[in-house]
Amino acid sequence: MDFYLGLAQIVGVHTLLGLSAYCVLLTGQVSLAQAGFFAIGAYVAAMLTVLAGWHIVPAIAAASFVAGATACAVSFPALRVKGLMLVVATLAFGEAVRLFFFNFDYQVAKGEVKIGPAGGEGFRQIRFFPENGWSTLDVLIFIWLFVALVMAGLWWMDRSRAGAVLRAVGEDEVAAQSAGINVTAVKVAAMTVGGFIAGLGGGIFAHYTAHIEHAQFGVALATFAIAYPILGGLSSVFGTLIAVVFVQGFLIEGLRFLGDWRNLLFGGLILLAMNVRPRGLIDAATIAAVKRMRTSNKEPGNARTQGAE
Amino acid sequence: MLELKGLSKHFGGVRAVDGLDLRVPRGEVFGLIGPNGSGKSTVVNLVCGLFPVTAGEVLLRDEDITGLASHVRVARGVTRTFQNIRLFGQLSVWQNLWVAQNSTEHRSEGFLRRWLGGPGRAREEIDRILEFSDLSGKRDELAGNLAFGEQRRLELARAVVAKPALLLLDEPAAGMNAEEIDQLDARIRKLKQDGLTTLLIEHHMELVMAVTDRIAVLNFGQKIAEGTPDEVQTNPLVQQAYLGVAEAA
Amino acid sequence: MSYLDVIDTLQSVADGVLFGATYSLLGIGFTLVFGVMHKINLSYAAASIGAAYASLIVLSVVKAPAIFIFLLAGLAGGIIGFMIYVVCFRFIPQANPLATLMSTVGALLLIDEIIVHATVGIPVPYPALFSDVIVNAGPFTLRGDLMFMFALGCLSMLLLLVLLYRTKLGIATRAVAQQPVAAQLCGISIPRINGLTFVITGVVGGIAGAMIGAAIGVLSPLLSLPLTTKGLIVTVIGGLGSIPGAIIAGLLVGGFENLFQYFRGVTERDLYVMLLLFGFLVFRPGGIFSPAAGRD
Repeated sequence: MDFYLGLAQIVGVHTLLGLSAYCVLLTGQVSLAQAGFFAIGAYVAAMLTVLAGWHIVPAIAAASFVAGATACAVSFPALRVKGLMLVVATLAFGEAVRLFFFNFDYQVAKGEVKIGPAGGEGFRQIRFFPENGWSTLDVLIFIWLFVALVMAGLWWMDRSRAGAVLRAVGEDEVAAQSAGINVTAVKVAAMTVGGFIAGLGGGIFAHYTAHIEHAQFGVALATFAIAYPILGGLSSVFGTLIAVVFVQGFLIEGLRFLGDWRNLLFGGLILLAMNVRPRGLIDAATIAAVKRMRTSNKEPGNARTQGAE
Repeated sequence: MLELKGLSKHFGGVRAVDGLDLRVPRGEVFGLIGPNGSGKSTVVNLVCGLFPVTAGEVLLRDEDITGLASHVRVARGVTRTFQNIRLFGQLSVWQNLWVAQNSTEHRSEGFLRRWLGGPGRAREEIDRILEFSDLSGKRDELAGNLAFGEQRRLELARAVVAKPALLLLDEPAAGMNAEEIDQLDARIRKLKQDGLTTLLIEHHMELVMAVTDRIAVLNFGQKIAEGTPDEVQTNPLVQQAYLGVAEAA
Repeated sequence: MSYLDVIDTLQSVADGVLFGATYSLLGIGFTLVFGVMHKINLSYAAASIGAAYASLIVLSVVKAPAIFIFLLAGLAGGIIGFMIYVVCFRFIPQANPLATLMSTVGALLLIDEIIVHATVGIPVPYPALFSDVIVNAGPFTLRGDLMFMFALGCLSMLLLLVLLYRTKLGIATRAVAQQPVAAQLCGISIPRINGLTFVITGVVGGIAGAMIGAAIGVLSPLLSLPLTTKGLIVTVIGGLGSIPGAIIAGLLVGGFENLFQYFRGVTERDLYVMLLLFGFLVFRPGGIFSPAAGRD
């Protein structure tokens, strides 16, 4: 049972990470900085609970704000460039954050042991959950509460005008500009929200793993962050969730019996998925089909608009 | 409504627009014609703010808008269509219009309501424009899946939904059949009745002659003639410009 | 700073520049694919390492002088490059950059895992050439293996430039890069040119992979992610699509890397490389030779 609870925790945190990239991808920007924001959230939240003795809720809230503010600040110079240049710029930022924590040493003596982030060795003793007697199930519920909140928020946003505007910018910046949209502001906002969500995920991640180190926040994690929404499709937040469940649950855990071969299958399946469904598992056509099914189940001829629902 | 003073745009050594002076009076449909490569589309791009000008001024209602960003000009009342249709293909027809509601009036709605609220009163307005564009039956269709003529109509609708004072139409009839052009003609007239000023760039002379109040002719980035459709048609300079190009081609 | 410090600094910068030739080759690979297809091939560095491994396998079966390893790696690189084109690009709609980005990530993971699987995750020693030769030039020593590597790198770049600028194939490739539609109208088959670009960049990458193996002495799949990052950085600093830019940027990054390492230690080295990149992005977004500012 504990195995499944642990898996559900991983799925929850990675969903937050994927959703943070989802926001940015909607505007057509590929950001490999999400792992960096995730790392900032993890370190800030952990330092607040461990070193400053905060409760976890204000700690991860503060961590999200720090990560969001960083994302906002970074996006101004970074969004001067686009396409490949932005991929590389954000990749460099993410790596710079990781390398910063690799060299970040801030330890405080507490009793007999020294605690705090210790450079390359990482940050151990993040014990908020065990110290306060939270069971694995408690932690799981805590995580999914936030996942549900974020998903509901983004789902709402998707159906509001903001969602349409983000996608419009992602499709054609020139046309969006000519339709009166402040493209830079929209992109900065998307990056900020993405950074905020990544920071939230990072803060939670630090507390359930109890030990964080720079190597966890590398290029691989950044790639996973964008992989979830791209694999799942950018038409719905549920695409990201499904992709995380598929990758973490099925590919990584479910195929464990395959041993070594599992990892081989992983890359191959991504290749296959992109060849078969280039717009992701859930694309605009899927959504339209679901809509049609729903409307035909209701009274026929009930032409409700997408925005009105 | 719109005034251009000594407007110039150079691309390297090419003078796409060269010292153009133009006044578009309020409420008129103003035609801008000229051979291919005469700089007509560049004028639209300069007026709507996609390109920075090399020299000169763009005045809207006697206010200088030369340095303003594109989206700010939309809020001031300048919208446009594109020669090669640029819709948001993965958004529905309805969403395409919802995104473009960016007039000052819309902006006054309040941030949260406007961005995160439901369609609210936007809905009636969009429905009206869908009807005007004869797209009511297509509102949930993805814009990318529309037929060519429907895409043209949606682009016009998207430009109109922001409640502009000045509408820039960049070859709106390109690729249309005769029937569609007649409908476009009717729509432009209807918009004029509603008090809209239009700058129309078009190759289709029948449409231009029928619908415009005044016409300016561009050649090599400079204005070579201006007047009513009749005056322009009989102007020898204009005939020479077109024939000259015909010979070269 | 004493005289000896200066010598040491210069020595490490010189070593870095020599090693930078491999970065140049990787940068060329990224830049060529971007120039022709306007796409990023994230699996490129992994494929290069994979080609170096493949050359080892061939060499273990067939007895041949060690010098052939570079040719073999180039050959393997070309084949892998073409396979990557087929699985990651050929059948995915051009208009969808995210899908090809993701598919190359898939290929990257796949190649890495194949290597891990085949080698049980243990780094494999790679033969170095002329590692016993050491040239003393005044107070400096130049390692023979690095010099050979550098020379080989320059030779491959030269051959590539001749191929691109002096042959019909190269002209067709550049035509596709500049005006795909016009090139198609002239009877050039775009899929074929795209495929050929992947073969050419694959060959270059294979040689780079072998050079990296020879310079470091071992091959490991762990190299592929850092090399991807370095290759992309070189591409951006050199200016997207600019081959001379990629060459200079590769040497520059190699030199600076060792300079930072000398002064700030190995753990902080890459941090400063990233800052260098940021500097370029902010002040010279078009790269060293800035063909046109602000293009993407």
